[in-house]
Parts: sequence; structure tokens; C-alpha cells
Amino acid sequence: MISPFTVKRESKTRESILKGVYEENMKILGKRGSTLARPRPFYIRKVFLTVAVTALAVFLHAQYGSAPFSSESQVTAGLIAQKAASPVVARSSAPPHYPDVSGFKAIMHEPGMPISRIFGLGVKTIMIDPGHGGKDRGTMGKLGTREKVLTLDVAKRLKALLEHDGQGRFRVLLTRDRDVTLPLDERVKMALDKKADLFVSIHFNYIPAKPINIIETYYFGPSSDEKALKLAERENAGSHYGMSDFRQIIEKLGETMKLQESRELAASIQNELFVNMKREDGIVHNYGVRRAPFVVLLGAEVPAVLVEVSCLSNRAEEKRLDTKHYRENIAHYLEAGIIDYMKKGDIGHEKTRYAKR
Amino acid sequence: MKKPDTQKDDSVLFVGIDLGTSRSSISASNDKREWIESFVGWPRDFIAQQVVGKPVLFGVEALENRLSLDLCKPLEHGIIKEGIDRSEDAVKEIIRHLIELAEPSKEQKIYAVVGVPSDSLKVNKLAIRKAVAEFVHSLMVVTEPFAVAYGMNLLNNSMVIDVGAGTTDFCIMHGTIPAEEDQKTILAAGDYVDDQLFSYLSEKYPNAKFNKNMVRQFKEKFSFVHETPDEVQVEIPVSGKPVMHDIRNEIQRACESILPAMVETTTEMIAKFDPEFQVKIKNNIVLAGGGSLIKGIADYLQDALKEYGPCKVTCVEDPLFAGSDGALRLAKDMPSKYWETL
Repeated sequence: MISPFTVKRESKTRESILKGVYEENMKILGKRGSTLARPRPFYIRKVFLTVAVTALAVFLHAQYGSAPFSSESQVTAGLIAQKAASPVVARSSAPPHYPDVSGFKAIMHEPGMPISRIFGLGVKTIMIDPGHGGKDRGTMGKLGTREKVLTLDVAKRLKALLEHDGQGRFRVLLTRDRDVTLPLDERVKMALDKKADLFVSIHFNYIPAKPINIIETYYFGPSSDEKALKLAERENAGSHYGMSDFRQIIEKLGETMKLQESRELAASIQNELFVNMKREDGIVHNYGVRRAPFVVLLGAEVPAVLVEVSCLSNRAEEKRLDTKHYRENIAHYLEAGIIDYMKKGDIGHEKTRYAKR
Repeated sequence: MKKPDTQKDDSVLFVGIDLGTSRSSISASNDKREWIESFVGWPRDFIAQQVVGKPVLFGVEALENRLSLDLCKPLEHGIIKEGIDRSEDAVKEIIRHLIELAEPSKEQKIYAVVGVPSDSLKVNKLAIRKAVAEFVHSLMVVTEPFAVAYGMNLLNNSMVIDVGAGTTDFCIMHGTIPAEEDQKTILAAGDYVDDQLFSYLSEKYPNAKFNKNMVRQFKEKFSFVHETPDEVQVEIPVSGKPVMHDIRNEIQRACESILPAMVETTTEMIAKFDPEFQVKIKNNIVLAGGGSLIKGIADYLQDALKEYGPCKVTCVEDPLFAGSDGALRLAKDMPSKYWETL
């Protein structure tokens, strides 16, 4: 049997060891263990801090609280609130967490319920990606018009329009603002780094076999269409990934929020582009919203689309594209598509949309 | 007996964490006990991220997907390589993941005691505190062998030898928190055995194809000293065909390669004490860490130390959790007034 004396001695040893551990850790922090003997100053400091913070808050509220909110600050405030409330858009320096979206499926499939509204998502930063550039000149029309020049020109115009019409409500960024070679993964990285909320990549098509003019808008996903795959292969040329690499990714992505939102954005842009361009070229074809595995659309965790505005292989279209006026119009149509997407879910907007038809 | 004044209600979750070079474990006051291999992997680029489907992977999963990842073993050689951000990030990730595995409830405060290799506490005390602090409400850092000793009630006249992957840590307990001179670290440890075994096998079977990971698995399965088994056969491919190889002698040589340094350090440390206490300490030597799983290691040390008088060497029952269980016991015993000021 253990004697009470042994138990007492062991308990004392333990106490001294525990105190030792505590003091060692205080030393690491550069504090002295004696803080324990004086708990009051710490408490007083805390009370002082609380009072100071409260006083500051009251003062600031009195200063600015009554001032009317500008539309911009409303947007910002809204975005902050959304960030706090939504697990999907929350961004911090910590590594991103991938939300399990399966639980949301039921509400997401409710007809007429736009996803962006369910989660209160807002658009703050729009990233426009002029396709190709530098050594990668993209396609070239028969008259010598280069895709890389066109994409940059339209992108710049689109940026100016969005900035002007948005009245500073959102940031508009370009992946490139001059003729430089920019690998696809760097474009994606830029969208991630700048925390873009929308990603729109601008391209022009080339269909050598037929003299037709088509408009199509893509979002990332599997495709069984050989032509779409070929196009994706051509646009992916700047990356070191092959088509086979995507099979696994596509399976994993499934029907995520990002894909649904991208489809919505693609639909808005495609619709505005086609309806308006039809007026300029009566025989332009609407190839609609399509899916294909474009590298540039994969990385960004936000709605991302690739627009093939029109066909450089069509001589009449190439001539039109050569005029500033036409390119400015294209930028207007693209802007209308983006705005339409952003307004989706707004009840008033839905009504006016349907009333127009 | 006076009751310790620690908080025993559910508002606090006490956790003990053993942050090891090779494996890390957590024991919590809600009876959760989990461990992971101390590997952290981040997807190399956005494509890799989509392939692995997670922003960060741990342990076996990270090893399996290593081709898509930037792998980091943050406490290699027993210390965090300071200045290399990823190492510090990796420690953070491991701690975050371990705490998640302990499933604390949202309202609970977390009070943690973290055991680290002795050298790591010497070299990067602050870095470790910084890495852990953001996930817990209060924190104390101790050395691994000390946590083991405290957990096993080896508070006085005892010695713990923690044979880890990167380092072997020695700690003599004499009724107080061990001072720097009561602790010593040598590099003869698990990784050293792996290196030796790799070079012996490469020498003996130049045509066989194997890697460091396979060699580590051979060691973990067959390691022994002292008592010799009849044979140790493993399958290693030669020109693509699986061929059985006898690796008994190589395993024995590799495992024994760390013993001379261990014996020397043990005797040297004990010799510093008063002769009366030397006998007591020698009869209370406990082996911990993954290295204590080497078959026959306690008997070998006991035999080797007998030259210096009678001694008794034993192994901890559960080397994987001995450190975290000890750290948890420390956490639970620690008076709440200490927690609140840290």
C-alpha cells in the first residue's frame, strides 16, 4: 500500500513540475512568471481597452453614422456582409476550403431560383482576359487581321464601358493590357490573386471549312462534340496539359455551383451578343452555350466563360471587325451580357426582361 | 489530497499533441485519439488541386498523391527549418488537422500541451508557439520525452529515451522540470537506420529496384536487434519481376548502427549524477518513440549497460500515443490560473 506521505510528496513534485512548465512557457513569450501574482493589472488593462474601443466606436458613429450611404458604400457593405454569411465566397489568407455543395442541391434545383441570389453573391471584380498575345498570335483572317490584336482591342473597350457604366461599383481588370505572351496558367493565377468574381475570356473563331459566321460561348465541362474539343485543344495550346488530364477533373467537378453560375453567365452573354449581332449580320449563326475543357476556365473558382465572338475566317466579318465602330458595338453587347447576368435574380429585372420579349 | 483547480467542465477541451518528425498524434479530454504521418502536401498548381480535390493533404494520402503535390515533412531532423515559410505552414496545417480530428465543439475553449523534439524546442520555441497559437485558446510547449515521462508518472530518478525518426532524445527526470543539461539529442534515430539499410541493400542487391519508402516499410515490419530470427524475406522487383530477397543481416546491421551512440549518451548522462541516484536512474530507463518497436532493443540496451552495474530498461506500451497521452495528462493537471495567463 502506498503511504499518505508518498502521495503527498508526489503531489508536491507534480505541482512544482507544472509550475516549471508554466514558467518556461512564459519565458518563451518573453514574460515573467510573476504575472500570476498580479492578476489585477491585466484585468484593469482589459477594462481600459474595452472602454477605449467603445468610446471610439461611439465617436465614429456620431461623426459618420448619419451621413447618407452612397451607392458604392452600399455595395461594399453588402459585400462584406455577404462574405461573412456565405461559406462559398469567403476568402481569407488561409488556404481555400472547398464547400461540400451536395447539401445545397435541393434548393439549387428549384426552378427560377438563381443561385447567386440564394447565397447573396455579389460581383466586385471583373477580370477580362484578351485571348492569346505576344508570340501566340491566335488565328489570322485572310486579310491579315490577327486574333490577338482584336481580343485586346475589344477587351480594352469592354473595360472602359464597364468602368464608366458601373460608376466605380466594381473593379475591372485585364489579364494583359498590351501585346505580351501570357501563359494560360498565369492568366488563371491572376484571376485568383486579384480575387476576381467573374472571369470572361475573349476569343475569335476560325472555321476554315465553311464561310459561315457563328457565335458561341463556352463554360468548362465535358464535351462530346469533336469540334468543341478541337477548339479547346487549340486554345489550350499554351498549357502543358493534355485532354486526358481533364477526364478526372471533370468527373470530380460534377454539377458544382461554379459550373451552374458559369452556364448562367455564358447564357446571358451569348444571348445579348447574338440578338444584337444578328442586326449587323443577318446570317450569323447562334451556336449557343456550350461546354468544353478550356484550361483558362478551370482554375478560377468563380463563374468563368470563354466567348468566341465571331469568325475571322468569314471575310465579310473580318472586314466589319476592322472598323472601330463595330468593335465598340461588340464591347457594348458583351457588357450587356455581363450586366444581364449580374442582374439575374433581381425580380424587377426579370419582369422587364420578359416584358421585352 | 488537495484537488487540482483545473476546469473540469465541458467548456474546455484539453488536448495533448505529440508533434513528431515522422508521426504526430493527438489525445483529447473527450477521449478522441488520432494520429497522422507528419507529411503535408499542397497541390502543385490549380490542375493538381482539381485532381486531388483538396487544398491540402496529410499523411498517407499526401504520400500517395505525391506526384501532384509539393510535399513537406516540416520537422525533418527534429527542427523546423526557419525562414522556409512552407515548413512553418506545414506545422500549422498539421496542428489544425489534428485539432479537427479531435472534434472540439464550437463553444469549447481549447487548452493544448504540445510535445516537440528537444532540439526543436531549443531552436524554434517561438516559431512553434506561433504555428500552434492561432488554433487554440491557451498553449504550453514541452519536449516529447518530458511529456512521456510525465504521462507515465516517471517524475523522479528516471530516464526516458525517445527514439524518433529524426532524432533520439534523452531526458532525465529528477523531480523538477528537466533543465537543458538533463536533456540531450543525437541524430542516431529512425531516419539514420533507413539510410543505412538503403545503402546495405543497394550494395548487396545492385539490380533490385527499391526506394526509401519501401526501405522504411521493411524496417517497420522486420526491425530487430539482439534476438536473431531465422530469416527475413521481402519481395523486391528485379528487372520488373518480383524476386524474394533475404535481408536479415542488413536489417540487423542497420538497426544496430544506432545502438553504440545510444549506449554512450545514456552512460554519459547518468554519470553526471550523484552515484546514489545513478543506480536509481539506471533501474528506471524507459524507451519511447517508434524506435522502441525495434524487437529486442530494450534487452540489448540492458545487456550493454550491465557493464556499469545492474539496470532495467523497458518500453512504453503504446509508442504512438505515449507522448500525446502524457501531454494530455499535463494539460488536465495544469491549474486553470496558469492557462488563463498564457
